[in-house]
Amino acid sequence: MEKEMRRLVIRTFHVDRVFFSDSTEYRDNALSIDKNMTNKFDMDADIFDDVSINIIEPGDHNIHVNCIMDILPISTKVLGVLGEGITHTMTGVYVMINGAEKNGRQMSNFGSSDGILSKRLMAGRAGTPGPNDIIIQFDVILKEGVEFSRKLPLAIHSLCDGFVQEIREKLKKLNAGQADEKHEFYDTIRKGKKKVVIIKQIGGQGAMHDNQLFPSEPSGFEGGFSNIDMLNMPMIVSPNEYRDGAIRAMT
Amino acid sequence: MGIGPSTKETSLHHFRDPLLDVVAKDSDIDLQGVLLVGTPQGNKEKLLVGTRAAAWVEAMRSDGVIISLDGWGNSHVDFANTVEQIGKRGIPVVGMSFIGTAATFVVKNEYMDTIVDFNKSEEGIETEVVGENTVNERDAKKALALLKLKMKKKGV
Repeated sequence: MEKEMRRLVIRTFHVDRVFFSDSTEYRDNALSIDKNMTNKFDMDADIFDDVSINIIEPGDHNIHVNCIMDILPISTKVLGVLGEGITHTMTGVYVMINGAEKNGRQMSNFGSSDGILSKRLMAGRAGTPGPNDIIIQFDVILKEGVEFSRKLPLAIHSLCDGFVQEIREKLKKLNAGQADEKHEFYDTIRKGKKKVVIIKQIGGQGAMHDNQLFPSEPSGFEGGFSNIDMLNMPMIVSPNEYRDGAIRAMT
Repeated sequence: MGIGPSTKETSLHHFRDPLLDVVAKDSDIDLQGVLLVGTPQGNKEKLLVGTRAAAWVEAMRSDGVIISLDGWGNSHVDFANTVEQIGKRGIPVVGMSFIGTAATFVVKNEYMDTIVDFNKSEEGIETEVVGENTVNERDAKKALALLKLKMKKKGV
């Protein structure tokens, strides 16, 4: 016997073109990004030297990048909270955060993925863009000599979240009719079947080993809590909460 | 030692996690949820959070557990302890980890007899290529099949 507890609908909006323009908009599978976006950032001058946003086309991976700090989807809640209701997400485009100090020191702790992108990114994995996907690079250069602490990744992820939120606000307003795909997921109790738990051990040792849990937006940052601040204690999440982006990996 | 570029699960990986997908879809399994447990710095804290995770699993009356991590080295201390704590409670447990040649376990115990190694690199090392040594659908299916066998053996 199956009992459906709650429903999560994920609608996908495909992007096949990303370009800079006067404003951030999504229309006819094309995403424009405000070219003056970085001027609007409220950056901590003690931490950030420079932040740039770059559009990397598929096949243009023969470029040098600093350490890949994260790759995230552009998703937003339209109805309900994380784990139920309606989520809109873009396909065909993903955000990549790169970070290093001005002197070249990489934002990494246990090996670094800086180098030629095509050799540092294996496309087509669950956690990486596909070979035909566009990457929006959020490229961060930190002040030379800045103290390497938890403050840095938190500031970088927070700043990037502000940028992604500009796109999310547009994504939120799209009609269901414009969606390319619709996926329904249920948190289900299958009475009488074998009860199984998945345990995910996630980083929590300090800088570059942290995770932001339960953000307000899927795979977001704001509104969430660092699992270091929660003493790394076990937290149970429902399958739908998990697949609705309950974890922002700051590893 | 902790999480390297090739084993790191990105936010995108969590968003479309193959392990969750495989287990949630299986109509023979009642997936109770995903338990997120951190990896503290201190040894005392490592033992504490892993033991708390095992206490949760017991309290939930779970028939079986799949535990996966995207770090190695020092993080295997936490992993080994959590597996042991779950095993000691008589609950079948299957582990998933990057091992290859670089990350053989620094600590081991009798409950770590079913571990899926999701190394994908030829040399079995941390290649510093993002996405390379991460869990895919095949790894997840293997882990679930092992868990089903283990639960069956135990008469669950």
